[in-house]
Amino acid sequence: MKLSLHTLPTVPLEAEVICPDKFIGNSLDAISAMTVMHGNQACSLADFFTLTDDGLETIEVDGDLSKVKLIGSEMTQGKIIIKGSVGAHLGALMTGGEILVTGNAEDWVGREISGGRIVIKGDAGHLVGSGVRGSDTGIQGGEIIIHGNAKNEVGNGMRRGLIVIGGNSGDFTGVNMKAGTIMVLGQLGQRPGASMVRGTIFSTQSAQLLPTFTYNTTYKPTFLKRYLIYIKKLGFTIDDAYLNGKYQSWSGDSLELNKGEILLFAE
Amino acid sequence: MSGSSKVIENAICTFCGCVCDDIELTVDSGGKYITQAKNACVLGKSWFLEHKVEDFPVALIDGKEASLEEAVEAAAQVFVNAKFPTIYGLSDTTCEAQKEAVAIADYLNGNIDTTTSVCHGPTGMAFQGVGESTASLGEIKNRADFVMYWGGNPAEAHPRHFERYAVNPKSHWLPNGKEDRTIAMVDIRPTQSSMIADIFLQIKPGSDFELLWAMRALVKGRAFDRSVEERTGISLDRLEALVQQMKDCQFGVLFFGMGLTMTRGRHFNAGALLQLVTDLNDFTHFVSLPTRGHGNVTGADNVVSWQTGYPFGVNFNRGYPRFNPGEFTTADVLGRGEADALCVIASDPGSNFSAKAIEHIKSIPVITLDPKPTVTSQHAKVAFTTATYGINVPGTVYRMDNVPLSLRPAFDSPFPSDEMVLRAIKERICELRGITSNHKPVAA
Amino acid sequence: MSSAIRIKNGKVYDPLNGIDGEIKEICVQDGKIVDSVPDDSPCIDAHGMVVLPGGVDIHCHIAGHKVNLARKFMPENKRHDVSPRVNELRSGTGGSVPSTFTTGYRYATLGYTTAMEAAVPPLGARHTIEELHDTPVIDKGFYILLANNVCLNQLLEKGRMEEFREAVAWWLNAAKGYGVKLVNPGGDEPWKGHKNSNVHDLDEQIRGFDLTPRKIIKALIDATNDLGLPHPAHIHCNNLGHSGNYTTTIETMKTAEGRRVHITHIQFHSYGGEVGKNPTSKAKEISDFINNNPNVSADVGQVMFGEATIMTGDAPLTWQLRNMTNKKWINADTECESGCGILPFSYQEHIYTHALQWAIGLELFLMAKDPWRMVLSTDHPNGGSFMNYPKLIRLLMDKQFRKEQAALANQKAINSTSLLDLEREMSMYEIAIISRAAPAKLLGLTHKGHLGVGGDADITIYDDQEDKEAMFNAARYVIKSGKFFIKDYEFCSDFQGRILHVEPEYDHAITQKLRPFFEDYYTIQFDNYPIADSYIHDGEVVPTKSLS
Repeated sequence: MKLSLHTLPTVPLEAEVICPDKFIGNSLDAISAMTVMHGNQACSLADFFTLTDDGLETIEVDGDLSKVKLIGSEMTQGKIIIKGSVGAHLGALMTGGEILVTGNAEDWVGREISGGRIVIKGDAGHLVGSGVRGSDTGIQGGEIIIHGNAKNEVGNGMRRGLIVIGGNSGDFTGVNMKAGTIMVLGQLGQRPGASMVRGTIFSTQSAQLLPTFTYNTTYKPTFLKRYLIYIKKLGFTIDDAYLNGKYQSWSGDSLELNKGEILLFAE
Repeated sequence: MSGSSKVIENAICTFCGCVCDDIELTVDSGGKYITQAKNACVLGKSWFLEHKVEDFPVALIDGKEASLEEAVEAAAQVFVNAKFPTIYGLSDTTCEAQKEAVAIADYLNGNIDTTTSVCHGPTGMAFQGVGESTASLGEIKNRADFVMYWGGNPAEAHPRHFERYAVNPKSHWLPNGKEDRTIAMVDIRPTQSSMIADIFLQIKPGSDFELLWAMRALVKGRAFDRSVEERTGISLDRLEALVQQMKDCQFGVLFFGMGLTMTRGRHFNAGALLQLVTDLNDFTHFVSLPTRGHGNVTGADNVVSWQTGYPFGVNFNRGYPRFNPGEFTTADVLGRGEADALCVIASDPGSNFSAKAIEHIKSIPVITLDPKPTVTSQHAKVAFTTATYGINVPGTVYRMDNVPLSLRPAFDSPFPSDEMVLRAIKERICELRGITSNHKPVAA
Repeated sequence: MSSAIRIKNGKVYDPLNGIDGEIKEICVQDGKIVDSVPDDSPCIDAHGMVVLPGGVDIHCHIAGHKVNLARKFMPENKRHDVSPRVNELRSGTGGSVPSTFTTGYRYATLGYTTAMEAAVPPLGARHTIEELHDTPVIDKGFYILLANNVCLNQLLEKGRMEEFREAVAWWLNAAKGYGVKLVNPGGDEPWKGHKNSNVHDLDEQIRGFDLTPRKIIKALIDATNDLGLPHPAHIHCNNLGHSGNYTTTIETMKTAEGRRVHITHIQFHSYGGEVGKNPTSKAKEISDFINNNPNVSADVGQVMFGEATIMTGDAPLTWQLRNMTNKKWINADTECESGCGILPFSYQEHIYTHALQWAIGLELFLMAKDPWRMVLSTDHPNGGSFMNYPKLIRLLMDKQFRKEQAALANQKAINSTSLLDLEREMSMYEIAIISRAAPAKLLGLTHKGHLGVGGDADITIYDDQEDKEAMFNAARYVIKSGKFFIKDYEFCSDFQGRILHVEPEYDHAITQKLRPFFEDYYTIQFDNYPIADSYIHDGEVVPTKSLS
């Protein structure tokens, strides 16, 4: 199914219906008539998109979707390709399937997902792979791959899964993290891993850590190499120095269990 | 004093979040202005004494004088024609007006947010993550033998905070007042407030979180790195001694201001402080309180919370309340160019929001309610002049510690209250939207 | 427009008037139950339906500072339980602590038309009233917290009993309260002023006062009786939740010495065992005591599995729970009056203590010989939301269902109680007692909880169904003060309920004693403290019996 934005929303458009689970088994007409919320107005998908049935199950969406929120919400299967930039809450609560965005994404990419994979070729906003305010639980599985930069609070409350940031991450990367892995190929922002319980945060750059992190050793973590080879296959350029290099290992946050690990490239 | 001048005892000052309720106002015999405001601080005095009933038109539509009815109609039309109407402000008005504003947002399926989102919103978010230990100000007056201020300057922002609540009062448990208390201040520079402190920690800018984190580690007896000395500019010896004092006190309090919540780290800074205070409760009784600025910003938090379940940044687009700071908070909604109509009550985002947000404000219809012209009202499609709460309008306000008080207005204003205007707009919106009370006679 | 309604052909349960399932006509005019209405009055044919007085909740937490703190505190637990706007009925959010409008609508949807907020520091009464104004449909009132009041304690330790009683009366008037609540009597002083400690024995001296918890309890039981309040002292005993606390509960009841007293959420106070170890059930001992002492009444405070919010004036308790669960926690002290603690909580079937609490609650209901003195509550939201009432009613009415549910819970806990031996199934008549007639009677609300002539026309009509949970979940008609809120399952109209409060007489000389105390201890002016009559939009003063 192909969707092409013909009318720019003037206020946020909530379009959780753009999701393989909702489309499957429905006719083009039925899909065209599905409800999207343009601010407080209920509209149909066709009011904003030209829909073309190409016979494929993959949903391809074209246009500047930066005001379009909640695409792929609660998705369990299939694939969405977004050619352009996309609005907030992309793939929220997703449990399976794949979303690919060629442009940038706004805040809350992959909020509370527990499976599936989200790939953003450009930059992402705040709170990639996080939970909502008040909750101590972020993503519980799945993969979020950002090729560009991400803003603050990457993986807030993360319990499981993998988040990769190809560029730099903002402040408080991996804050409140319970488990899982966050890999930042660029620079970590301020105060990574604050309140982390378990889990791993990795960066190819040095970083200033909180006083409640203690240095353990410098070593070659074999599992890290495997992860790096894996993300290389996802299309990242990984310098051999990082594949075979040594990493400083830090433990924290001592205010919690002190079982979290931050790995920083050493040599 | 003229024989016919009126005296209002126990009047309530809404200039700041202290909401002092012991003001004695003398109203001129003409009933048009206040001649004396006994007990008020310098800020309160100017609040009361400079209040004049000006000769503004009651309403302007597109800058032209209009009647109240015309303006209500115009405002209702702006609202019902919007897809993402946003209501903002509300911290300098009564709870009664705040309730009407939330009702409008509900009936419009709009968006509502208060100035909390640009002052102690981060505190609210931190609180949702980690909780808090807090107290009403009287408990602090009575019992707090260790008083700390972090990132605020009450001597200038809340001039009677020391005298009424936290530093000077003598009590049953602290018969010698200030002598029985230890006063500590943390700030990036000396201030009027830090001059009275027994302990002053001048920390490097932007290192609050690290200092709080190190203090938490000390309280909990956990490992931490000495590099924090360098980072914060505070020696470990001083820090250890301070933390020991905090653990040893009978009743400690930590007040904090926007120096903490509006600098880098925001809600995490506030969260670190709230957690430090919680940690201290393993050893002694310890509480914290944000020093709120506006006279009824705490009331706004409360009203929005009880009506919707969420304190600020609430969206009704889908017919029920949703909450997400960053998504539904006004500075963000305007900054991203999302709102297509804006109603501002007793606030002036046009003078203090980001350039992008202000540019957007200028591009959409704006409704303002304010006793005085503001930068925002200059751009307004519909601008109402309203009476001033506390001086002309009765109602309920909440002190910074959530204690509610009933206002004692001094004299009448020719202008309507925010509540009256908002209620009229609400009723008109309901008519236009066909929202009616469905009292049908009983079916046979 | 006539406001008359005739309800005919319904099966009526009205225990206060001894009516047990008779087919009987009920007539309504101008908000009251009347003998007859004109022949052409609108009529509901309630054939196949059950007609009951509106429910009365004697103990819940629905309005005020601590409730609102809990709302702000937990945005995460209500986003999936929303209550959309329906025409003029306002929208809101649910979870275990719903927003105000949603609270009113949801209570009414279950057929409850009166609810009492159980713990308000008088300084926060104004806030509570603000929220109650926004809690639609139902009538409501609140109890004021007086068992940790510094001023009253000072009068008490000096033995100034008359002034003590006058001050209690003044406080009820000033706060527009309905009754007097005691929470962990004497426990605030060690909590606030001495390293977060607590009192554990009724005869232990309270630090800083020449006083014991027992003296406070006795004084407030006496004052409430002497003032002729419609509802006696409403007591949350010391040692809530502690293993072995049932002796404290029995001692508290004994302190009444035969005078009227109400013990609240008594399930949380019926534990055997040793402090610090697993609790056991002492439901039998507690039931025996209450069965034999007609001056004592209680509500159960049933625990229901699932999400809850702990919300109490008993701050030390929540600190203890916080340290067990490591969850986010709130402490909020009110000057001279109260403590407060809040934390999110979830009762889980597989956990021994939770399953035991669940079983003890049911034991207490089923062992009570006099249902008029052991009434329904979950201490909402502490034991679970009031939205659990239909399920709780089914547990009491349906033995088979009870056994199935017990089989899902921790067996060690269930088997350590007598729950599985209790074959009793409550009748509709008994349910009408514990959820309507008895709480109204214990509250002294003579015009509520029944369908006799002169009573408030608060009426709920349910389809008579086998599954009592389904039945009580969705009232078909809800009439409050003669107005339809729900008609044929649909919301009809939105309106405010009344605020019920008392105005016991007192000698105004007491204000001369209180004023200097306020100047020394409070941060608001004495004259700004009392709530003006005009503050209450629609109030009803429930009479007190004159002093003998």
